[in-house]
Amino acid sequence: MSKGYTLNELLIITCAKEIKDYQNVILGVGLPTTAGALAKALYAPHATLMMESGIIDFQPLVPLNHIADAHSCRGFSYATDLFTAFTMTYRGFVDVCFLGVGQVDKFGNVNTTCIGDYEKPTLRLPGSGGAADFISYSKKTVLTLRGGQFVEKLDYFTSPGYLDGGDSRDRSGLFPEGSGPSMLLTTKGVFRFDDQTKEMYLAQIHPGVKVDDVLEEIPWELKIAPDLGQTERPTDEEIDFVRRFAPSEALGRQVATELAIAHVTERARARGKK
Amino acid sequence: MNHNENKVMNAQEAIARFVHDGDQLIIGNYTVGTCIELVFEICRQGKRGFTLYSQSGIMDVEMLINARCVDRLVTTYVMRSGGKKGGGAVERALQAGTLEMEDYTNFNYNARLMAGMHGFSFIPVLEGVMATDLFRKRGFMGEDKYRVIPCPYTGKQVLTVPAANPDVCIIHVQRADKLGNAQYWGSMGSVAAAALCSKRIIVSCEEIVEHDIIQSSPHFTIIPAFRVDAVVQVPWGAHPTEVLGYYNSDRFFYGMFTQANATADGAKAWMDEWVYGCPDREAYIDHYSARYGIGMMDKLRAKAYYSAPANYGAAFTSVWDETGHNRVLGLTLEQIETVMAERGMLYE
Repeated sequence: MSKGYTLNELLIITCAKEIKDYQNVILGVGLPTTAGALAKALYAPHATLMMESGIIDFQPLVPLNHIADAHSCRGFSYATDLFTAFTMTYRGFVDVCFLGVGQVDKFGNVNTTCIGDYEKPTLRLPGSGGAADFISYSKKTVLTLRGGQFVEKLDYFTSPGYLDGGDSRDRSGLFPEGSGPSMLLTTKGVFRFDDQTKEMYLAQIHPGVKVDDVLEEIPWELKIAPDLGQTERPTDEEIDFVRRFAPSEALGRQVATELAIAHVTERARARGKK
Repeated sequence: MNHNENKVMNAQEAIARFVHDGDQLIIGNYTVGTCIELVFEICRQGKRGFTLYSQSGIMDVEMLINARCVDRLVTTYVMRSGGKKGGGAVERALQAGTLEMEDYTNFNYNARLMAGMHGFSFIPVLEGVMATDLFRKRGFMGEDKYRVIPCPYTGKQVLTVPAANPDVCIIHVQRADKLGNAQYWGSMGSVAAAALCSKRIIVSCEEIVEHDIIQSSPHFTIIPAFRVDAVVQVPWGAHPTEVLGYYNSDRFFYGMFTQANATADGAKAWMDEWVYGCPDREAYIDHYSARYGIGMMDKLRAKAYYSAPANYGAAFTSVWDETGHNRVLGLTLEQIETVMAERGMLYE
């Protein structure tokens, strides 16, 4: 029998499969960097992994603390600047990027700026960072939603997905043809975007999840793939990689923080501190 | 997508595969360390019809024009082979009506590469030339040499130039890895922009080094591997120009070329002997040492003056400490897996 896996491990591994060999990939912090490390190690040895701070072609050895983390690797191939990292994307040299989601609508437009009113927000989120630029010009974009929400209308439109759906993104003339989000990964399943309407539909559900569990989070009538599948089970090799590379992520932030505090407290006690 | 495999090949293959008749060709180097062997090989293969970009033409431009490879030239500076009597290939071609030319200033030429490198269709430039014939005289680019637009913020008239995105860049650097990461140091000129604005890039280098050398000194990389099409190892590949850290300029030999280049007959004889008469750089070096003695070149070899190393190290390169415990959680992998099982976190 193969190994058991955590939900976070499943998400990271599913995300990693969106990276193909020989692709140039911009990695964001958290789940995507571990996915990138996994892809580079197991499926995409020729991929060029990049950070928007200008760290180009690195092999992550430990999880990144942020998108300028040269401590996560042992050297890298090309030290450029943020400006050039973005114009590199603008010119079409980036194949895949990853974006976390605060709110997402049915056409994959994303809010990472605020929940509620912009001037007096209920939650003030990070903002664009690189998101709006990357989803604009990367050949494809993978969206990840863990704490975020599906909405009919975004409280703030930060990053362009398929705009009003159909061919509106291509028609706008602002983006390379064929670009846009290719997948939305949540804790319950995998969503993809219809070729014609560009509306998202449920393509796969994770093991143990029921379609109703997915539907209860979505305020519109969600389309479901006729051949709705289950997210592929991770292999032992994939699980081992994630667990060894980033055990804290395999456990999830909450459990990892709890264990880390327990560890530090224990150490202090052993040294006679209160 | 990239094609990050071994891209090492010889100059003959690189030029045959990636330089085509009628291309917009750009010389990546500026004044020093120019890609002489790649230029020689283009001449040998008899490529035709280029629009040639060069920040500052030296013997590279002169030879390509002598070899009748160039129809159009975009530059800022033309090499002369001495006094009023001796002009050079550019002058001869203009007189013969076989070359069209577009003159820019150094900054305004470089700005075209910067715009192209970053994907912008044009860029504002230094406007002083609007008072001069650089602005007024238009060659083959016509109205598109310079255009003037109002600044949306100040309303002031702004001079602009169009982006350049040449088909292929030929460039010589100190070292590269086999994947194409190209490292260059010294006079930066417009070298990186010339390469990065181009669609294809052929890198020649003094030596091919292990990827590890590149990884521990990424600040020297000017072209990332995923942009490069061919890597050609050519020791003495820039001779008789100089490569910092490898050899000085061969003033004597450069002078011989300059003297010969002052007349069409002289240039032809020089090219016949040194370019067409030598099938590759090894043959050229052999011929040089037979003619003048290898000691001449030995005297040009650089003595070492290494830059201080930069430390790219981190405190650790694994989340596990030397005893197999996770640095943050203080637990072994087995203990972590036990936590996962005990807390019911695992899906089967």
